[in-house]
Amino acid sequence: MVIQQAITWVTIPFFLVVFLSGIVDVVEYSWVFVLVPLGLLLGTTYALVYYYRFEYGITPDTFDVRSGVFSRRSREIPYGRIQNVDIARGVVQRLLGLAVVSIETAGGGNTEATLRFVSESEANRLQHQIRRRTAEATERRRRRADTDSDAVESGESPLPDDSVAGTPGEESASDPDFERADGTATAESGPQISESDSRTYESRRRRLFDLEARELLLYSFTSFRPAAVAAVLFVFFLATDTILDVLVTIAQPVGGPEDLENGTTGSYGVLTIVSMVNGLVITYLLSVAYTFATYYDFQLGRIDEDFVYERGLLQRYSGSIPVEKVQSVTVTANPVQRLIEYAGLWVETAGYGPDSGSGSQSAVPLADRRRVYAFTENLTGVERPRFHTPPSIARRRYLVRYSLIAAAIVAVAFGTAWATPLERWYLAAVVFLVVPPAAHLRYVNLGYYVGEDHLVVRRGFWRRRTTVIPYYRIQTVSTRRSIFQRRLGLASLVIDTASSRTFYWATPTIYDIDLEDAREANGVGRTRLQSALRERAQSDDVGLSVDFT
Amino acid sequence: MESLHPRIRLLWIAQWAIAVVVLGAIIAVVSRLFVDVPSVALGVIVVAGIAIAAGYAIRLYQAWRFELQSDALYLERGVITFVETAVPFVRVQHVDTQFGPIERLLGLSSVVVYTAGSRNADVRIPGLTPDRARDLQDTLRELAVESEADDAV
Repeated sequence: MVIQQAITWVTIPFFLVVFLSGIVDVVEYSWVFVLVPLGLLLGTTYALVYYYRFEYGITPDTFDVRSGVFSRRSREIPYGRIQNVDIARGVVQRLLGLAVVSIETAGGGNTEATLRFVSESEANRLQHQIRRRTAEATERRRRRADTDSDAVESGESPLPDDSVAGTPGEESASDPDFERADGTATAESGPQISESDSRTYESRRRRLFDLEARELLLYSFTSFRPAAVAAVLFVFFLATDTILDVLVTIAQPVGGPEDLENGTTGSYGVLTIVSMVNGLVITYLLSVAYTFATYYDFQLGRIDEDFVYERGLLQRYSGSIPVEKVQSVTVTANPVQRLIEYAGLWVETAGYGPDSGSGSQSAVPLADRRRVYAFTENLTGVERPRFHTPPSIARRRYLVRYSLIAAAIVAVAFGTAWATPLERWYLAAVVFLVVPPAAHLRYVNLGYYVGEDHLVVRRGFWRRRTTVIPYYRIQTVSTRRSIFQRRLGLASLVIDTASSRTFYWATPTIYDIDLEDAREANGVGRTRLQSALRERAQSDDVGLSVDFT
Repeated sequence: MESLHPRIRLLWIAQWAIAVVVLGAIIAVVSRLFVDVPSVALGVIVVAGIAIAAGYAIRLYQAWRFELQSDALYLERGVITFVETAVPFVRVQHVDTQFGPIERLLGLSSVVVYTAGSRNADVRIPGLTPDRARDLQDTLRELAVESEADDAV
């Protein structure tokens, strides 16, 4: 085990040196011979010191990490605050039997603790230890909330936190596998404990959803990842000349120019079109391959109060999401998926997940739409929504908005024609043809439903998202009216939850409804938040029901 | 509904004015080094910038209102986009009072309310007298503690 870890630590300085020598090359070649061994030495030393100075431990109440070579940081994460625990295994790591464990809490945009290079069995052990303790902490808090509400009812003041100090003490006394170990010790003692422990743990696992081959293929082919565009562009910038040559060669049989310098306007046009088609096809195939590799062998299960999932072909991810931490649930479908009546299901937590850089996790990548709806209803207990649509004046608003965008495009075309020999700029006016359907599609995909315990918001054409927000998860509600909306008597309602979304997935918003309706929904959200919180304080019920399938 | 202290207009104008003057300085440097920008144009940009700032600040001051309601802190603000926000007391994570250098000069202070949300996660009420700010901070803290929920994220 130690040898394995040492090997991994050597690979880091190796890559560091490769990188360093890349920079050094620019300056002076001969430096490399001095700097590479030096870098290797320094890197190895640093890595070894970092390794020996890295400690983590499971205590009764917190998960502790102490790390750092020059500046030391010791961090204690209370179990009750942990959102999800993820394990990632890359290709090299899988060969070496290692894994990376990440622990997320709601605070900050970063992973709170990352344990690199722990053995796989240790990673699994950590994951379910933390999961168990998180569940215990939740249980404890619920019990305390009970005593609190009893106290309030009997007219006493709420108990301060330290009144339950006895509980954690009991925990530590009755806790057989409390230990505090540095990396080496844990790595050696880990497997024995996890062997027996994980077997009983795994046996409690209940299967909820497995992504079948057919669904995986459908998902790969019907979804598109923007990351693929970035990857293609990156490669293009790295090897511009080679790629241009290839593109010219491909375009030649269909009437492309001999080379980039000599060609007629027509042949350049052919080259452009052929290259664009090439680019699109390659990007799409890359996206398909990426999705396939990411969601290969996706499994979702449930162990006690946690959702656990596993996925990945080359890099294997496994994660756990406490059911209690789920903030909202979103059903997504793009136009193609809607056509074949399929949809995906995502759950949002306040953490920071491994993909999309936000707290949303794919619970069901793609499945039959009816099945996904059934999942959603079981998971949240939401009744089938009867959507209200915004007033049709909203459609007029989109018509105006998209017309302005189209006008801007035409203006740009005109500007280009003015500065370059490009002719017939007015042909750009065809974009106006797209405006009415675009406005209509945006409008018909908008919808909202103010339910008994949930608010359901639907929006988006290219990636239609239907988000189910339980009232008790609302953080703030805002009614927004821009100057244009004020003229039309419209308003947008922004419902903020603790799920940390990035720019990629905006906060759930009900767009362009009548001001009266917006105010009413706002009021309903606020009052139901209060009543739902009161109900929750009285009953032991976790907000989300237990059955998923 | 409570409105802000009238001096907040001065603060906003001052902040804008600083930005406009910095912009003017950059333009001046550019005109010295590269392209010649007539000094009249420079003057017009600066004056227009400050005039817009003044108008904006006055409108914003008129629009800004806040209130402690039974269950939530309620705010209204915005010139171009008018926003009404309700921050339920249960959701308040912590409350800060802050004041920057210009605010200190003008004898003003802000209260910042943090929630666990993703957007509007921190709500700032500017333009309060230091006493009022401390007062509001205490009230909000008490209300937040009183209505503590058990489903902390």
